Amino acid sequence: MQRRHAHALGQARTCLAALADEASTGNRDDASSAYEHVLIELDRIHCDETPDVYLGARTQDRAIQYELATTAIEELKTHGVEPLSVELLLWMLDDAYSQDCT
Amino acid sequence: MYGETGTVMRQEFAELLRQHRVQQRLGETPVTRQERGLQIRQYRQTVLIWCSQAMAATSPLTFSNHTPAQPNPFRHAGADGGAPAGELGRAIDVAKERSTASPASSQQLTTPSGLPFLEHWRGAARAAALAEHDTATDIARRMTAPQAQAVVGDVAAIAQALVILDQRYRSTPGWEQLAQGSRLGWAALATALDVSLGQPDYTVDALGWRPKTKLIDGPPRPGVLGVLQAEHNLVVRMRSFPNATNLRYVVDSQRLLSRHLVPFAERIDPRLAARWAERAGTYALLQQQLRRIGGHIGKGGYAAAEGANAISRLRALPADTIVEPRVLSGFQLLFDRLDHRIADVIEDGIDRRAFFQRVTVPQLVGDSGDLVAPLQERFVPVDRTANPELIATVRGRLRPRSSSVVATPGASRADLHAALIHRPASGEPSDVRRL
Repeated sequence: MQRRHAHALGQARTCLAALADEASTGNRDDASSAYEHVLIELDRIHCDETPDVYLGARTQDRAIQYELATTAIEELKTHGVEPLSVELLLWMLDDAYSQDCT
Repeated sequence: MYGETGTVMRQEFAELLRQHRVQQRLGETPVTRQERGLQIRQYRQTVLIWCSQAMAATSPLTFSNHTPAQPNPFRHAGADGGAPAGELGRAIDVAKERSTASPASSQQLTTPSGLPFLEHWRGAARAAALAEHDTATDIARRMTAPQAQAVVGDVAAIAQALVILDQRYRSTPGWEQLAQGSRLGWAALATALDVSLGQPDYTVDALGWRPKTKLIDGPPRPGVLGVLQAEHNLVVRMRSFPNATNLRYVVDSQRLLSRHLVPFAERIDPRLAARWAERAGTYALLQQQLRRIGGHIGKGGYAAAEGANAISRLRALPADTIVEPRVLSGFQLLFDRLDHRIADVIEDGIDRRAFFQRVTVPQLVGDSGDLVAPLQERFVPVDRTANPELIATVRGRLRPRSSSVVATPGASRADLHAALIHRPASGEPSDVRRL
């Protein structure tokens, strides 16, 4: 795995974890679970060989986190990840975000 | 389970002790009585074998409660005095070995005789044969000394019953009395008194052989029973070690399940609802901590699927569904088992190095490139010392606290002791069937 790929993965995981935690503290457990499933699917696609989250690099704004996660996941296409898997991840993320916002 | 087999034995002996004038019950002719007497001796031999095996299995843990003061600490306290339990074990062995009757065969144990009197003997012998699993050496290894005392007390009571019945049956044609029967009776009495000086632990009833838990196959049950079915199957599926990904799916399903069951539980049992809300919080915390852990070893795909089944079935339940208290306690039972298993999986996974710790990638300041190549980051096995938070969550919050079970002797023990000192009412023979 190239460093840029690892960095994109780390960024995506950080944002997804932040979104899941934020939804969990707001008692939106279904949304939190949906974000968690995106995170687990991201790890599964990479055979669980993914870097840790950046604990100190979280913002509080949900919309910003969502945009950052989407950008990071889209970037995975350029690192050899199958585009269909990326699209599925983006769809799962979009679904989780719409659950979170309702 | 010893509780079941022991109870059956005591109930059957209590019933036999209350039956007098046995010759009439054994049959009309001396030949019939002799045949049935032999059959009873074979059943008695099976019971004696269990008594002997139980005493041998518990012997390392049986200490006298009335040992004389031994001034020399390097000498065993009961070495020269002869503990009552040891004497009882020897007396039972003598009675067993000197008996010419063979133990009852499988066919005799399983075929009903049609005679109610003999059926009590058959029931006691069958329970004794099954109890050999429950007090076997491998199970006795897990017993505590007070639990072993409870077993010894039970054996003493049954030995006393055998001695009393032996006296009562002595005029049966061809009857063979217990060898050194009076010594056996006194040893049983001494042991029972010795046990009563201590505090026997009757939680021993929960030990022993249990049937293997199986999957509940077939179509999903309607309503909340379908959720219970999926949760049960999840507990069974978790017997196999899950990999880190599937473990995270299972943890997520438990968080959601606990959270969504809270409103249903609140209407019936608010304390249980509070407990499940706390459980949901524990799983949310565990979920965060497991993000930092990966691992390929294990499977657990079926367990993750059953967790997803439970959630989807719970979501389909109408909000006004009334969940019976019995179903709620069923969930609690399964939750406790699953929490134990997940705690074991995490701790075993760390010990077996089945999980690895994720490492952070150094963040780039820009695309300026590195003149000096940075150190390569490597995945390392999860270490207990590096993950104090995870271990604290597993041990402090996830693993259910062992509730202090207060076990009572139970009705069957009291009934057998009452039957041992039972006497037929004057002028009313007890063998007359009550209307």
